[in-house]
Amino acid sequence: MINIKDIAKTYQNGEIEVQALKGVSFEIEEGEMVSIMGPSGSGKSTLMNILGCLDTATSGYYSLNDQDISQASEKELAYIRNKEVGFVFQQFNLLGRKTVLSNVEVPLIYSGAKKKKRIKRAEDLLVKVGLGHRMKHYPNEISGGQKQRVAIARALANNPSLVLADEPTGNLDTNTGEEIMDLFQQLNDQGHTIILVTHEHNIAAYAERTIELIDGRIQRDVVA
Amino acid sequence: MIFETFKIAIQSLFANKLRTLLSMLGIIIGVAAVIAVVSIASGSQAQITSQISDLGSNLINISPGISSGAGGQISRTSADIFTLDLGKHIEENSPNVKRVVPTSSANGLLIKSNNNYRATIVGTEADYQVINKYYPAKGIFFSHYDVDNSTEVIVLGTDLVEELFPDSEPLGQSVKFNINSSTQVFRVIGVMEDKARGLIGDLNSQAYIPITTFMNKVSNSNYVSNFVAQAVSSENATMALYEIEYLLDRYISEEDEYNIFSQDQLLDTINSVTNTLKLMLIGIAGISLLVGGIGIMNIMLVSVTERTREIGIRKALGAKKSNILFQFIMEALALSSVGGIIGIFLGGLASYSISQIGGWPFVMSTLTVLIAFTFSLFVGMFFGIYPAYRASKLNPVDALSYE
Ligand SMILES: Nc1ncnc2c1ncn2[C@@H]1O[C@H](COP(=O)(O)OP(=O)(O)OP(=O)(O)O)[C@@H](O)[C@H]1O
Ligand SMILES: [Mg+2]
Repeated sequence: MINIKDIAKTYQNGEIEVQALKGVSFEIEEGEMVSIMGPSGSGKSTLMNILGCLDTATSGYYSLNDQDISQASEKELAYIRNKEVGFVFQQFNLLGRKTVLSNVEVPLIYSGAKKKKRIKRAEDLLVKVGLGHRMKHYPNEISGGQKQRVAIARALANNPSLVLADEPTGNLDTNTGEEIMDLFQQLNDQGHTIILVTHEHNIAAYAERTIELIDGRIQRDVVA
Repeated sequence: MIFETFKIAIQSLFANKLRTLLSMLGIIIGVAAVIAVVSIASGSQAQITSQISDLGSNLINISPGISSGAGGQISRTSADIFTLDLGKHIEENSPNVKRVVPTSSANGLLIKSNNNYRATIVGTEADYQVINKYYPAKGIFFSHYDVDNSTEVIVLGTDLVEELFPDSEPLGQSVKFNINSSTQVFRVIGVMEDKARGLIGDLNSQAYIPITTFMNKVSNSNYVSNFVAQAVSSENATMALYEIEYLLDRYISEEDEYNIFSQDQLLDTINSVTNTLKLMLIGIAGISLLVGGIGIMNIMLVSVTERTREIGIRKALGAKKSNILFQFIMEALALSSVGGIIGIFLGGLASYSISQIGGWPFVMSTLTVLIAFTFSLFVGMFFGIYPAYRASKLNPVDALSYE
């Protein structure tokens, strides 16, 4: 499903050049659950952003579902972000002026779903993540764990095959974090391919495969 | 999809009411200014035009020309031809001319016992009042009999009565007119109606005597200063003008030795002057509309900066460049159309009030409203597109990591 070869990313800030990724290659099969670990600044987020089509690599090859992403147009990338990838952020990134329900509706608006279908789908997803009773609330009226559930429901809106999560439990306490991980586990059981970044070993343990990055290179790629 | 994006735009405008109002203010003021200026200018122009038409659009003024190079002296050739007979000749031989009234005027001192006043005394025909639609309020105007017999009667303007007869009845009394150290005595037979100070000068401080009396006693000359010809109708004024020119050319050998113009020509001149003025004012109002547009651009730029994270989130969730662009254009359009409508109302209100004060008709053309509104939409679009374009171009990661 995912195939990357020699992915490199260099940030150029005036005179200063930062090589965040220095040639990363791996393949991920459909239905896998993979965790990415590594020290701060090792390039984990950079890699995730490239995988999620939020950013482009400086060089290297990336294909997702047999489509060459390195050649994709701006419009195609928007389509992939909308339909094929669900992204969950550490800082939740909900739209503060919109209700929980409207937040989940956003990807469905951009995929052109009709209003009735949209609301039905968003409600179903919120029930699924255990927030059926908070749909009319605003993001500042719910807890961090609940926010992350909303974000997960939103990531699932167009039923993407790939779900990416960059430190999804980073802002949550241990118990809440484990609840969120149970949710990811469920999604993986239902067939979603899941890649998540974490610092914690007990979180990484949910995944059967762990890729470790150090200084922009793969240090280890192990299947438990 | 389009409707959804439109809804997103409207919702985000409502979410920040103060910002929305402030950015709308520029457009409101701009449109209101355009509407008010055009309406006020048209109204006052209509008033001036109707004042001139009141004077009679079928009137033609004929006066001797000034000979060139003779130090401003009245040309002998033409002045010498302006006799009462010339007026009769035109009246009889020009089919489109109804009547010709000669006038001559002189400045001198009007005296009644201890009161005196510098006044213009006009010698003319009995028909003067008909041509100018200007009648006595008290007593009578002099008649053809007075002109034929050169009687010593006078009709006074209202200002003269106030000065000369502060607390006595003027009718039947005598006044003296002093010019070039000779003095004439006239009997007052009428007082003219009060006429608003208009384009043709202050009529209220003039006095009128029969033209023959004027020529015999005041100017001691066989010539008059000018003629006013009345065409049979305003449609025939131009024809009448040509006929008069034809007749005069046969009397006056050298060309351009007389001046002739119709009220229509005067009207045209005044209209072109007020049109120029109107254009200038519209230009100024247009600039204020432009400044309003720049205000919109400012606010849009600020809102893009403020909402960069939102743009990042939307793009991460699959928004295309066009979705973001469209959302922001819609915001700009909603701002400028609502601002435009409010501006039209305020502008209409302002020009209505001012027209009431100024006493001219309230004119507000649909065309002006349409143009002002369309222009405000264009301004909104134009200044909304740049910030929207900038917002839509952002890379999702860069937008998301924006602090
Ligand atoms: N926009 C940027 N401009 C310049 N350098 C950047 C930018 N984003 C990231 N970097 C650099 O790239 C390197 C990798 O950053 P990245 O965010 O991928 O690390 P990370 O592994 O996610 O770290 P953390 O665990 O702290 O989130 C770092 O050295 C970082 O300073
Ligand atoms: Mg990171």
